[in-house]
Amino acid sequence: MEILACPIDKYHPLELHVFEEKDEITEGLIVCPKCLRWYPIRDEIPEMLPDELRKEAEDLPFLKKWREKIPEKIVFEGKPFSLKR
Amino acid sequence: MVRKAYGEIAKAEKCGCGCSCDPSVSENAGYNPEELGSVPEGADLNLGCGNPVALATLKEGETVVDFGSGAGLDCFLAAKKVGEKGRVIGVDMTPEMLDKARENCRRSGYKNVEFRLGEIENLPVADNTADVVISNCVINLSPNKQRVFNEAFRVLKPGGRMIISDMVLLNELPEALKENVQAYIGCVSGAEMKTEYRRLIENAGFQRVEVIKEAHLPLELVLSDATAKAMAKKLKTSDYSARQLANSVASVTISAIKPKK
Repeated sequence: MEILACPIDKYHPLELHVFEEKDEITEGLIVCPKCLRWYPIRDEIPEMLPDELRKEAEDLPFLKKWREKIPEKIVFEGKPFSLKR
Repeated sequence: MVRKAYGEIAKAEKCGCGCSCDPSVSENAGYNPEELGSVPEGADLNLGCGNPVALATLKEGETVVDFGSGAGLDCFLAAKKVGEKGRVIGVDMTPEMLDKARENCRRSGYKNVEFRLGEIENLPVADNTADVVISNCVINLSPNKQRVFNEAFRVLKPGGRMIISDMVLLNELPEALKENVQAYIGCVSGAEMKTEYRRLIENAGFQRVEVIKEAHLPLELVLSDATAKAMAKKLKTSDYSARQLANSVASVTISAIKPKK
């Protein structure tokens, strides 16, 4: 985490939310507090893609699945996708 | 498009980048069999043109970022070199490749390697954090090479080094070839002219830009390559265009330094 930066605005440090953990974090969320972009960790891999390579159809269900554990600001105002209030 | 094609390669365990599927290709690329034996099986898909020089310079405790890490071969070799106090970060934009890399990582138990899904033009790495940037036959695939070199410069610590292997052109390729998407995946038609490639690196701010190794593609490899064959067929000139291709393309290893200021 200490050298991870937001691929868009290069902000660092990023916030980490852990949802599931075995030896490694298997599911989680990385958030850029500056631009409010969120990046999923799925299957242990942090997915730090720029907006144009993100897939709404895969990312929104992830947000829904963990919404209870994600800060409200990200759930409703996060980029590049967020849920409707 | 590149992302999709490499995804297919990862799934099918096929090989890419114009190399044949012969296991000896990785040895030809300059890796010694002993080194290859030390990495998890499946990490080597023969996609690269070889970057053993970069690996040879790594020291214990260094932080390494691999641009376009694929199934992780160079990352695992680097991880061995930098040891427990060092770390290696592989970035690749192909989910299927990363699945493979992660699987290989799990099997081998490397603790100092991590993989991230990301784009080398938009690197998810903080400024001034890496001692070394390595990359093996990947940057030629990028439509925006200047941005890639800018990112490499940004993430390196002052005094850090970039040592990359790539395909470059010595002569301009025929238009018909440039348009051939398959050839793009085969590491060829996305390649930049050598002089321009060097200029882009210098533009990013790098100093002491040196070509430390240059090799022409062996003609036999080009002639046996599926991409070259398909291309030759398309151009209806049989072996001629493959010959032309072999004369136009070189694999280079380039080193450059981010000045300490």
